[in-house]
Amino acid sequence: MDAMDRRRLLTSAVLGTAGLATATALGPLSPEPAHASPALPATEPVVEDPNFAEGRITGISGTMLLVTGSDTVLHRIRVTNGTSIWKLYPTTFDAVDVGDGLYARGVRMADGTLAADSLWVNIVSMSVQITAIGNGWLHLDHDNKRIVGRVVPGRTAAVYRDAPTTGDLSKLRVGRHAHIIGAWRPDTNEVDLATVYAGTVAG
Amino acid sequence: MGCSNSASPAYGEMSWFCCGAAWGPCGSAGGGACGTCNSGSHQCAWPHASDACYNITQPYACGHNLALRGCGHVFYVTNRCNGSCVSASVADCGPNTHQFCGESHCCGSTCGTDRLIDLTPSAFSAIASLSSGLLPCRIDS
Repeated sequence: MDAMDRRRLLTSAVLGTAGLATATALGPLSPEPAHASPALPATEPVVEDPNFAEGRITGISGTMLLVTGSDTVLHRIRVTNGTSIWKLYPTTFDAVDVGDGLYARGVRMADGTLAADSLWVNIVSMSVQITAIGNGWLHLDHDNKRIVGRVVPGRTAAVYRDAPTTGDLSKLRVGRHAHIIGAWRPDTNEVDLATVYAGTVAG
Repeated sequence: MGCSNSASPAYGEMSWFCCGAAWGPCGSAGGGACGTCNSGSHQCAWPHASDACYNITQPYACGHNLALRGCGHVFYVTNRCNGSCVSASVADCGPNTHQFCGESHCCGSTCGTDRLIDLTPSAFSAIASLSSGLLPCRIDS
């Protein structure tokens, strides 16, 4: 299983093609045909949240962010004095750059702009496995892709099971599963680590 | 049914994940196990989206007997730190609960143990800050 792409495996698991169940149709589906479980139809249509936006910043004009969504939809996001901004740390508008990725939540105005209550810039949340540990970095496997996680002095913290958050990273181990919150660096594709939630060691 | 009114809610931790068209390390996330997952919609990953999924995520290893709920099923997820609730439909298989058995996060005296659900960024951000990472939650069906 370690060698398999987790996402493909999980996809095939739900679609019933992982050797554990038989294949079925796409769409809202019954994922357990081999076990004669009843179909569980969608009870609510999947719709985009109008008060949410994501994408890459392609321009900044005054306090307006011009953002190209990953689905190519263009967003205009208005930043105000009341907008909370996170970019590894709680920060201010001048830390936001063209090229950054973001998630934004606010209120969609009549002219189509999103008046932002919150911006999370370059934030990532990923389940990973630690594959190497060095001085100031972790190598992480995420869906069979290597990610370099940078330890940021004074910022990077770890959480071990039910213990309080700590700056002590010495208990992290190669092979351990973890979940990370961090800030992606668009220029290097590395991730500055905010918090590493340590799980079990793969066995 | 809706927020906090089902007969047998599940209690645990929630996190968030990206899917669908995305930027950065999420760029190759894809549409999730159900093929419909999108970061901008209120959706979730559930450890028992199918029996095959259940065998991968293994929540039973942490003592959780979670109901089978397939693609499109709507959960109501409450952030137990602030009482806010959001509905989210199943669009993926996950999280891998067994990899984090015993993990617990608290808001004061309110704690959630074991990772039971992942929300899309739009769903999670409707009830919590994305920078929160993991939070205790209640899951109603």
